[in-house]
Amino acid sequence: MRALGRPAGDDDRPLIERVRNGDQDAARTLFERYFDRIYNYVYARLGRAEDAEDLAIDTMTRSLTRLDLFHDQGVAFSSWVYRIAHNATIDHYRRHGKVTIVSLEHAPPSESADPSELAVEQLSNDDLRAALRDLTDEQQQVLILRFFQDLTAAQVAVILGKSVGAVQALQHRALGSLERVLQGRPVDGV
Amino acid sequence: MASEVQRLERLAERLRAVDPVAPSPGAKIRGWNLVLAAVEQSATVRSHGHPIRRLLVAAATVTILLVAGALAASADSLPDSTLYPLKGVLENVRGALTFSQSDRLVQHLDLAKTRLTEAEAMLARHRVDLAGRALNALNDQLNVAAELVQNAKQSDPAIGAAMQNRLSQAIATDDKQLVVLQGQAANPTAASALAQARDRAAEALKVAQAPASPNSQSSPSASPSGTAQGQGATSSPQPTTTP
Repeated sequence: MRALGRPAGDDDRPLIERVRNGDQDAARTLFERYFDRIYNYVYARLGRAEDAEDLAIDTMTRSLTRLDLFHDQGVAFSSWVYRIAHNATIDHYRRHGKVTIVSLEHAPPSESADPSELAVEQLSNDDLRAALRDLTDEQQQVLILRFFQDLTAAQVAVILGKSVGAVQALQHRALGSLERVLQGRPVDGV
Repeated sequence: MASEVQRLERLAERLRAVDPVAPSPGAKIRGWNLVLAAVEQSATVRSHGHPIRRLLVAAATVTILLVAGALAASADSLPDSTLYPLKGVLENVRGALTFSQSDRLVQHLDLAKTRLTEAEAMLARHRVDLAGRALNALNDQLNVAAELVQNAKQSDPAIGAAMQNRLSQAIATDDKQLVVLQGQAANPTAASALAQARDRAAEALKVAQAPASPNSQSSPSASPSGTAQGQGATSSPQPTTTP
């Protein structure tokens, strides 16, 4: 069951103009539109509800109060918000250190397991989230944005500042790394 | 055995099926309250913070401060100061805001005292020309004061008498100071100007002391302004009577 709501679209522009003119209702609409998505993004990165809550609030505050810095020149508002969330996450890592939480209850299988026999359907959501956090920063981002946030490769490319081809290649490497993490094998670049 | 592409596609599908983690309702309420407060504060800052408006406000503030500073500095300026003309402006403004006869008398006597102080300062700096102008302005103030006393005596003898008494005391005090300055004056021109100032002060007192006439008003001659601004006006040494 996925219930993140509608994907970010171009119809943010009128709302942004209204927020710039001090319209609180428009601010509320944008908050409702993005808060859950940003919370989910940050939670997938950090794995702690308290931190995700604080960073999601911080991201929405920055997004809606610094609209003077947002220039709609080919970059969607949603991409801008995700970038802010990403930067907030990086700041959080710098302040608190990157802590990977791996559930002992869902420990990965042994290295001797056959990769082709990995039963992904049997993996719990927590297993997957914990394994994701063992990937590199870029790999985490691309998988979370593509599969948890339902963004297209083109949208992710804008957020990461990469070409669509680079995002697709990164996604392929990230899935491979995730598979190795789930199999308990060493991961490149971590 | 599944190919790598197939395995990764299955993994991708599994990732898509991961349920999103939703924030608690409390977190959302807290979040909106904090965001709303920040948005309101931001709007307030923006409304006060338009660059052009800020520039205009800053320019206006600087102008006001400069004018106020110049006016304040001019209050104690002397006739040889560049700020001295401003002092006259201030004195005229103050005069325009004084309405009762008694208050106007007090104001003119204060200005006469100020002119005498200026004359003393100019004599100390050997600026006899400026000292002469200050003494003329002193006499102008005393003449206007005498005229006020005459008018008051016609409208209300009691008030007129009190004002006359005040003028007499002020002229007596001024005369004592003029005598001292006369004794110190080495320059003949300065000594002559001081003597003339004493004579004219005495004449102003005579005008004030003259009995009030219901058909005529005593009007000593005075320059248009006995203020610092009118320092250059040449006053008549003899009071005149106008109908």
